[in-house]
Amino acid sequence: MDIVLLTTVHILVAAAVCWLNFITIDMFFKLPERGGVVGASAIARHIEARGGSLDGGTMMGNIVSSPDASAGTLLAACGVFIAGIPGGLLAALLVFIGNRICHDKGYAGTTGCLTATFLVYGFTLAGFSAAEFIAGMVIAILSIQGISHVYASRVLSRIWRVRRG
Amino acid sequence: MEGEEGMTPADVALVLCGAVAIYAGIRVALEPDTLRKLPFLNVLSFAITGIIALLLPHPLGIVAAAAYFVGSTLESNAIASTYAGGLDRG
Repeated sequence: MDIVLLTTVHILVAAAVCWLNFITIDMFFKLPERGGVVGASAIARHIEARGGSLDGGTMMGNIVSSPDASAGTLLAACGVFIAGIPGGLLAALLVFIGNRICHDKGYAGTTGCLTATFLVYGFTLAGFSAAEFIAGMVIAILSIQGISHVYASRVLSRIWRVRRG
Repeated sequence: MEGEEGMTPADVALVLCGAVAIYAGIRVALEPDTLRKLPFLNVLSFAITGIIALLLPHPLGIVAAAAYFVGSTLESNAIASTYAGGLDRG
């Protein structure tokens, strides 16, 4: 198969895997519950004012304000691309430091980075390239933060309601 | 296609990250509300971080990518918190 087409298919699969990884970890660490800093809550209110949903907006604000599991997934893919599993572990350490710099008391970023490191490494054994996961994570974050804040926040709120029970 | 024969997955990923970065940059410029610019800026930071790692396949490239990402996140954090009325030291 044409290399560009094959890579594109791989990137779409990687995007789905990255999306599931970071949404699962962020929901597990209750990112939509409250803003980690006042800025995150303010972003949530502005998204709600445009017709979005507050809980999903809060999670989007938290993603903006501190490296969360999505950033962890991206940096894990970067680390594995450059130096395999040790690279992913170095990325996890850097995300941990980044969280502390951004006044984030949580561990969503570090946990997401560790799970993504092993996920990405596992997929490289199955013929994927870690570079495809870098592009995949960029697509995944584009779907949440970069297309429509209104619809993205509603989707996140719906997932949050299921997680909260 | 002849021009694509030498392309590797990293090249394709690089082109895609570049395209997303340009798109996100346009969205940041077009969004009038400062706080609503920040999620688009977040997408831009993701794309640039990916580009840094793809262009610098050296162990320090991981540090460079992470440093850039954490720095831009901290800036967004500061901008949002300033707009919201200052620090929350509670």
